[in-house]
Amino acid sequence: MKFNNNINYCILSDKIDHELLEKLNEYNIVTDITFENLKIRLENYLNKTICFNECFHKYTNEEKNQILNLLKLRNITFINVTSNIEEALLSDYMYVYHEQELVMEGPTKEILKEEKILKRIGFGLPFIVDLSIQLGHYNILDKTYYDIESLVNDLWQ
Amino acid sequence: MAINPNEPKIIGIISFASLNKDNINEKLVSEIVTYRLDDSLKMVQLKEEIKKEKFGNLSSAIQNKVILASQLHNKEINLYDFSRGLTKKDLDYFKRLFKKMVSYGKIIKLYSMSAELFINCVDIIRLEKDGKIYESNTLFDDVISQNINPPEIIKFINCCQKNGVHLDKYTDINELIKAIYRIKA
Repeated sequence: MKFNNNINYCILSDKIDHELLEKLNEYNIVTDITFENLKIRLENYLNKTICFNECFHKYTNEEKNQILNLLKLRNITFINVTSNIEEALLSDYMYVYHEQELVMEGPTKEILKEEKILKRIGFGLPFIVDLSIQLGHYNILDKTYYDIESLVNDLWQ
Repeated sequence: MAINPNEPKIIGIISFASLNKDNINEKLVSEIVTYRLDDSLKMVQLKEEIKKEKFGNLSSAIQNKVILASQLHNKEINLYDFSRGLTKKDLDYFKRLFKKMVSYGKIIKLYSMSAELFINCVDIIRLEKDGKIYESNTLFDDVISQNINPPEIIKFINCCQKNGVHLDKYTDINELIKAIYRIKA
C-alpha cells in the first residue's frame, strides 16, 4: 500500500488484525480513543498523516464533523481502517481487503461502482449510494449521490 | 415467575465502554468457550480451527464472536462494542441470531456507540447521562440521536423533514424506497 500526502485513505477490511495493522506501522495508529482525547491529540499533532483503527463509529455526528474539520484545518491526512462501508465516503481513495486479500483499490467513487463485488463480500454499499442507485432503477434519479443533502435537494426540488 | 412479554429482551446501551481483555488475551479460544465449544463456534460463524488460536492474536471481529460464543448459554448476554470489525452482512446475521436467542428467554445487552448495531435490533435504547437514565424505543428520538451517530436512513428522513417532506419513520431501505415512489408517482 502506498500513501500520498493530501489524500485521505480508507482501508476497508473484514479482518482487521495485527497482520494488517503491521503494514501501517510507520504511522501513528490511534485505537479506542475518546473524542476529547483525540481532539487534544490532533490539536498538538506534528506529523502529516494519522491512522485511525476503527475509531469513527464511536463518535456522534457532531463529534465526527469536528474531527474532520480539525484534520482539514491542521492539514493532516488520514488512513482510516474500518469494516464499515459508510466510512468509505470520508475518503478519497480505498483499499478493499476480503479475508486478508487485497480485492480492489482505487478512487473511492470508482470502487463504489463495484456494487456486485462489495455486496458479495459482505460490505454492501453506503446507504446514500445504495438509495440513489435503487431510486435510479425506478427512474426517480439519474445519477449516484454521495451525500444526503444533495440527494434530498435533487429528489424534492 | 411469569415472563412479561413486554419486557425488553434486547437492550441497546449507549456506552463507550469496551471489555477489558487483558486477562484473556493469552488464553486459547478453547479455554474461553468452555461449554459446547464446537456448536457455539458454529453458531457465531467461526471455523473449528480457531479453537487453538490465542485470543489476543485474533481480529477485533473474531474476538467479539468468541466472546458471544462464550456466553451463548447464559441467561443474560453482555456484549461490548460488538459491531466493531463486523461487515454489514455480519451485522444482519447477528441481528437475526439475537432475535432467535431472545425467543428462548434470553436477555441481550449491547453496550455500544454504534446506532447501526441498534437499528432493527434492540427493543429499547438506554442512555445514562449526568447521573440520569433515559430510555427510548426509537433511534428517531432527539435525545438519543444527539448522543450517538444516527444510522444514515434516519439522517436521510430527518433531512427530508427539514426540506418539508414528511416521511414515516422507516428503518428499512426497501420500505423507504416504496414510500418515495408513492410520493413521486
